[in-house]
Amino acid sequence: MGMSAGAGNRAVPYINVTPLIDVLLVLLIIFMVVTPLKPSRFKADIPTQRDPNEDVSKLKPNPLTLVVSITTDLQIKLNQDLMGSVNDTSALAAKLQQTFQQRKEQHAYKVGMETATSTPEDQRIEKTVFVKAPRALKYGDVVKVIDAIKGAGASPVGLQVDDLP
Amino acid sequence: MGMQAGGGDHLQSEINVTPMVDIMLVLLIIFMVVTPFLQQGITVAIPRDLKNPDEDQAINKETSVIISVPNDNEYYLGKKKVNLDDLKSAVEKALANKKEEDKIVYIKSGVNVSYGEVVKVINAVREKGVDKIGLVADRKKKGATAAAAPAT
Repeated sequence: MGMSAGAGNRAVPYINVTPLIDVLLVLLIIFMVVTPLKPSRFKADIPTQRDPNEDVSKLKPNPLTLVVSITTDLQIKLNQDLMGSVNDTSALAAKLQQTFQQRKEQHAYKVGMETATSTPEDQRIEKTVFVKAPRALKYGDVVKVIDAIKGAGASPVGLQVDDLP
Repeated sequence: MGMQAGGGDHLQSEINVTPMVDIMLVLLIIFMVVTPFLQQGITVAIPRDLKNPDEDQAINKETSVIISVPNDNEYYLGKKKVNLDDLKSAVEKALANKKEEDKIVYIKSGVNVSYGEVVKVINAVREKGVDKIGLVADRKKKGATAAAAPAT
């Protein structure tokens, strides 16, 4: 470098690559930051298509059913009790956690899981939570509540889609 | 350049950057090529900074069924805009070759979309025998949670 085949050593053909490298590095970093967006999701169960001829009255209601409903004024209800609002889900999460802990102590298993000793204890406890939200609500608020429910350890989470206000 | 403040012009104290630039360019091109593949579908303002969604690489798979609802009354299956009736048959077609336990439909909905729209989509897909859905949401970055933890 520095020496060319030409005569003197005054005219040296050399491109200044430093700005080029700067730009390249910045672009490289941008792409590296953007790329590893790990996708994630909340798994939720939805009811299968209802058979109109099915006799619903014969179905026994499960006393362990937990329904989290959201009212139109963004209040959260667990079964019938008020549990704070969409913007503060800590009360709901705490109550759900407490309920699951209680069930663990009382061995409140899912229907059909009472004798399935091969499955881990944690998966046999009834932790199903249903979410019921009015159609007018914003999706973001519903997801916030689902986030809190998942955080409390509920699984599976079911979405109620019939007879919504 | 090439001219040094030092004595002769035999001694060179410059780093040869050419191989570095080569590698940078190759990396840059790789990232540029890979990025569009990772962000398939259309852009939706999905819920962000949530604590508990489970990671699922299957969302990026080309075979998975993703329904996007960026705004009220706008439905996209993958990148294609569809209306609610076409959605049913398209979902049925997309799920036809899948095993029963893999029949999951991902719903990417914007935060400001009303929940009724999501329910409409759910109603459409459950007619086709789907009983599991994935609500796509963004997980809070680990660094952000660590910073927020002491404050609470």
